[in-house]
This record gives sequence, C-alpha cells and structure tokens, in this order.
Amino acid sequence: MVKHLIIKTFVILGMFGMAYSVQAADPVKIGFSIPKTGMFASAGPSQLNAYLLWQDLVNAKGGLDIGGKGRRKIEFVQYDDKSNPAQAAKIYEKLITNDKVDLVVAPWGTPHHFAVAPVVERHKFPLVGNTAASVALRKVKPGYLWFTSSMMPDNVAKAMTAMLKSRGVKSVAILYNLLPFASENIQFLKPALAKAGIKIHFEAKYPPDIKDMTGMLIKVKAKNPDAVLVHSYPGDSILYMNQAREVGINAKTQYVMVGPAIGFFRGMFKSNLDGIITMGSWAPGMKGTTGSQKFYTAYKKKFKGHEPDYLDTVEVYASVQILEQAIAKVGLNREKIRNAINTMTFKTIYGDVKFNGVQNGSTPSGFTQIQKGKIEVVWPKSRATAPVADKGAWAN
Amino acid sequence: MKNSLKLVLAVVLCVFLAGVAGFADEYILGIGFTIFMYIALAQSWVVLSGLTGYISLGHVVFFGSGAYVFILIWGLVPVWLGVFCSGIVVGLVSLIVGYPVLRVRGPYFVILSFGLAELVKNLVLINEARMYVSMRPVFGAPALYQLYTAMLLLAIIATGLTYWIRRSRFGAGLRSIREDEEAAETIGVPVAKLKLLAFAISGVIPAMVGAIFIMRSGIFQSGDAFTPIVSFTMVTMAIIGGSDDAPGPFLGVVFLVLLQELLWVNWPEVYMIILGILLLGFVLFIPNGIYGWLSEKYFGNKKNVT
Repeated sequence: MVKHLIIKTFVILGMFGMAYSVQAADPVKIGFSIPKTGMFASAGPSQLNAYLLWQDLVNAKGGLDIGGKGRRKIEFVQYDDKSNPAQAAKIYEKLITNDKVDLVVAPWGTPHHFAVAPVVERHKFPLVGNTAASVALRKVKPGYLWFTSSMMPDNVAKAMTAMLKSRGVKSVAILYNLLPFASENIQFLKPALAKAGIKIHFEAKYPPDIKDMTGMLIKVKAKNPDAVLVHSYPGDSILYMNQAREVGINAKTQYVMVGPAIGFFRGMFKSNLDGIITMGSWAPGMKGTTGSQKFYTAYKKKFKGHEPDYLDTVEVYASVQILEQAIAKVGLNREKIRNAINTMTFKTIYGDVKFNGVQNGSTPSGFTQIQKGKIEVVWPKSRATAPVADKGAWAN
Repeated sequence: MKNSLKLVLAVVLCVFLAGVAGFADEYILGIGFTIFMYIALAQSWVVLSGLTGYISLGHVVFFGSGAYVFILIWGLVPVWLGVFCSGIVVGLVSLIVGYPVLRVRGPYFVILSFGLAELVKNLVLINEARMYVSMRPVFGAPALYQLYTAMLLLAIIATGLTYWIRRSRFGAGLRSIREDEEAAETIGVPVAKLKLLAFAISGVIPAMVGAIFIMRSGIFQSGDAFTPIVSFTMVTMAIIGGSDDAPGPFLGVVFLVLLQELLWVNWPEVYMIILGILLLGFVLFIPNGIYGWLSEKYFGNKKNVT
C-alpha cells in the first residue's frame, strides 16, 4: 500500500515535471470567443479556420517573432460565445483577468465587437477587429480597437454606384434583408443612386428567415431593370439564386451581397453562378497583396480542398497578420503594440493596410464576380483582376 | 427556521453580495450579474406563470421591450431614471396588451405568449429598418460593478415581491386561478383583474433587467434583445428550482448558472449535451424542482408545485 502510494506520488510528480517543462517553452497565450452554437454558428468557421491556419503557419516557423528577440509558439484559449454578445464580453473578461492571456484576437460579428470594446478598453488590450462593418463603429473612440474591414456601408455605396455607372446602368431593383448590415447598406445606397441619376424601379425588404421570394421576383421581372441588387445573407442568397433562375431574372448585372464568395456556392450553382457580382475585394495572387497565393494554397491543404471564404476568412487572416507584424516590431508590450498598430503600414494578404483612426484607411471597398467558376476582383479598377462581365442566361 | 432568522440571514447575504462589488475581479462580478439577472427574471415569471398557471413562453417580450424603450431614451435622461422609465412604460403597455391576451387559456396561451414575443421582435426590426438604424451601440455605460449592484437590487426586489405576493390575499387569488379558474370566479375571485395585474407586475422587472442588460452587452439589436432563449432559460430555471414560491427560482438560477459556468469553462465542447441530460433528469425525476424536493425531504411539508 505504502509502496503504491510512493509510486503514485512519483508518477504524479513526474507528470507535474512534464507539465512544467512544457510550460518552460512558454507559448504566447492568445484568447478569443467564437460562435460554436446559436444563430451565427454557421459563420464561425470562416473566422476560426483563419485563426487555426495562422497558428499552424506561425508555429511551423518556430512561433511568433517577439521583437527580434527569439520566437514563441502560439497557444489559443477559446470559448463558445453562443452567438451572444454579452457572453462574448464575459469571455474577454475571463480571458484577461482569469486565464491571464497575453493577447486577444477578435470575436465574430459587429455586435460582439461593440460588446467587447469596453472590456479591452478597460484592460488596455489592443484588439485588431475583423468581421465587423458598420458606420457606427467609427463612433468607437480611438484607443485599443481597430477595424480591418473595407466594407463600411457608406464606402460600399459609393463603389457600387460608380460600378453601376461604368456599366451604363439606368435603373435598378433593390431587394434587401432586414438584418442590420443589409439595411445599413441600403441607407447609403439610395441617396448615392439618386445622386448618380439611377432610378429605383422596384424596392422590397424581407425578413431574415424568408422562405419564398417568388412574388417579389415576379414584380422585379415585370419592371425589367438594368440591374438587380440583392442585399442578402448566405441563406437568402441561396433562395435568390434558385428562384431568380425559376422566374427568369435576366438583368445583365446581378449583385448578391453575401454568399457567392463562400466555397460551396460554386459547387451548388455551378455555371449559374457565373456573372454574379458579390461583396469582396480579394482574389488569390492579386497584385498589391503579400503572400495571398501562399495563403490560398496553405488553406486548401489544411482544410482538405475547401476554399476560404473570400470575404471573411481573408479579412480575419489579415487582422492577425497585423498583430503578428506589430509584435515582430515591438515585442509583447501591449502599449507598444498599440502604438505600432496605430502607426505602421502592414503587408497582408489583403494588401497593404494602414489604419486611419479606428478604420482601415487603405483597402478600398470593392466587388468580386464569379467568372467561369473562378472568383475575380472586378472593382475598383485599381485592384481588378478582370473586367466586369455580363450575367449570361441561366442554365437548367 | 424562524422567519426572523431567515430575514437576518437574507439581509446578511445581500449586504455581503453588495460588498463583493468593491473588490471581486470582473469575471466573478460577471457571473454574479448573470445570476442576479436570471433571479429577477425567473421570480417575475413565477408571479404570472408559477402562481396562475398561465405558462408564458414569451417573457422575453418584456425584457426586449424594456431594452428598446431604454435605448430610445438613452442619453436623453439620466441612466437610472431611464431604467426606471422603461419598467413603468412596459408595465403600462402590458396592462393594455394583457387585456385581450389573457382571455386565452392553457396551451393556447403558451403559443400566444410565444407568438407575442416574436411579433414584437419583428415589429421592432421593421421599425428599425424603416428608420435605417441598423444597430444601436451603447457608449459610456456605467462600470460593471454599478450594473452588478443594480442587478442585485432588482433580484432582491423581485424575490421579495414574489415572496410577499405568494403570501398575500392577491397571491391566494392567483393560485386559485391556477387550481380552478371557473370555481374561483364562482366564489367571487375577480380573476380577470387579478390576472391582468399579475401580467403587468411580472413585466415591470424584466423590462428594467432588459435595460440594464443592454448596458452590459453594449448594443441593442432586435434579434438579440428578443431572443426566445431568454424566455426558455427563465422557464427552465424556475421549473428546476420549483415555481410555487420565491426560494425555488433562486435555487434553480444559482444551480444552473454555476453549473453552466463550470461546464462551459471545463468542457466547452460537450457542455450543452450535459446540460440537456440534466434537464431531462430533473423533469423526469424531480418534477417539483429543487425547492419542492428539499422541503419534502427535510421539512416534511409536501409542496404543491406546478
């Protein structure tokens, strides 16, 4: 019995010893919350995958470069926020005060950024945001939070109007989801269209859980506008794609806001997706970006042939590259990191990023289009990988 | 236990909890905030559903409406006055809404209450979209310890209210509705008036809770503020604790929040599954809730619990 106890004690001590020696390598602890359950659970992976890929690639190099004084590996501490902003606030409090992480990276979605803003502010933890876009974000007072997104609705509206004008569009039909980001885009789009002399022939809004939009689409078809602008989320984007084909919406310019840039859309709609314009300003290997082709290849390798979401995953990855480069410059001191983020220009897969106050001041709002099964950047012209093409006839 | 001793214990507990705000770390305060929030919600739910048997699956309608009223007047009036106003406004409105709603009984009421919450959610959503307001951030909210203290106060008031109503003539009337509404009416209980009053009372505190909650979450959005999950959670907590008297929801909330916290931190991947199994277990084996079970086992008085 006593012998057993002694052996057990040694085993336990040995385990502690091992645990200690692992700790001696001393990784950098980085915390975040992620929606694994709830309303945004389906959107979570586009962010989480970017974090995981980043961790892999950085750790393969030996870890984060800490201000030129050696490398330390990345260790993540992550919790499910149940798609609930208040839970995210609680998680960041726990990460900072209880888990004692070294740094934090962003939660998913605009509301969650608002929720964690006061927490990082209070504890002076720099946080490079991603997956958040709203003009309301500009009201966040400059401090410890920055937003990487180039899709601020007022800028998107300007880009959209310019793109439509370049295609000689005189009339549009607008359909939009009632959810915040879509309606905020409409808020800025309508005056921009009016200013450019583009007529709105039809406008309709619909609830987030819409199951059928045939009625609206028949009216759109009757009005025969030059362009159809659908401000939709992935679920209703699928609905539009199916029903627009059934109804026979033949406008040469068709915009479907969020969804077409996600990998599975191309498998789902094949050639019917060709010519659809969507939100995004990135394609692998495009000029002006750093290492975007390498990112694309590594992503497909890690996630077994799946493609990254050209909108969210890319932006998320760029946000952690910004953090990585700030750390490489100044080390782990959070005040120094904050100053570095405020002043440096970062070379990312999204292009060069420099912050102007809290927002990305470098990356322009833009659009991509699916052409022959490939995503091409078509707007703005300075970043374009291909010119805008007409939407052809629907195949069956 | 003697009543005076209970009271002293309760006061000591409250003073201690209020004192904690001064030095506890944020994580602890965050958990405390959640516990008090659900105590206030579950106690309010008991006033209507526990006592009258009108099971409301849409109690979040008060929570969300309170939050909405609060965000509309945010910045125009002092913060705490705003919280108070949101409670009063929602209470008054629910007097009007409750009039037709409470004509419906049993499963129909359950469905109607759920539908009411969804209806208001979508009305707010449409209204916000019409005004092109996509989300309303709350900047400059009071510090966490202030929110914690405010929520503690609401939890105390809600618990006291349930405790008092349960023992009052009003509460006896409400329980008679639960047991047999026709019989109660026959012997002269003013059932319509009592139900309406209970409906309004059980809405006031959730409205104020909603107002404080959005200061914590930092943002108002229709979809979040009216999420059915809040309704389901308060019902679950009240039922697990026992929904016939004030100590029930209290025990249910403390048990569930701490359990969730423990599971969530240690087994983030499977905590929902474990929680689900526990809930099933409770409904099947301890239908009277923790409080009902404790009082039967240790105090020998059989509680009649819905």
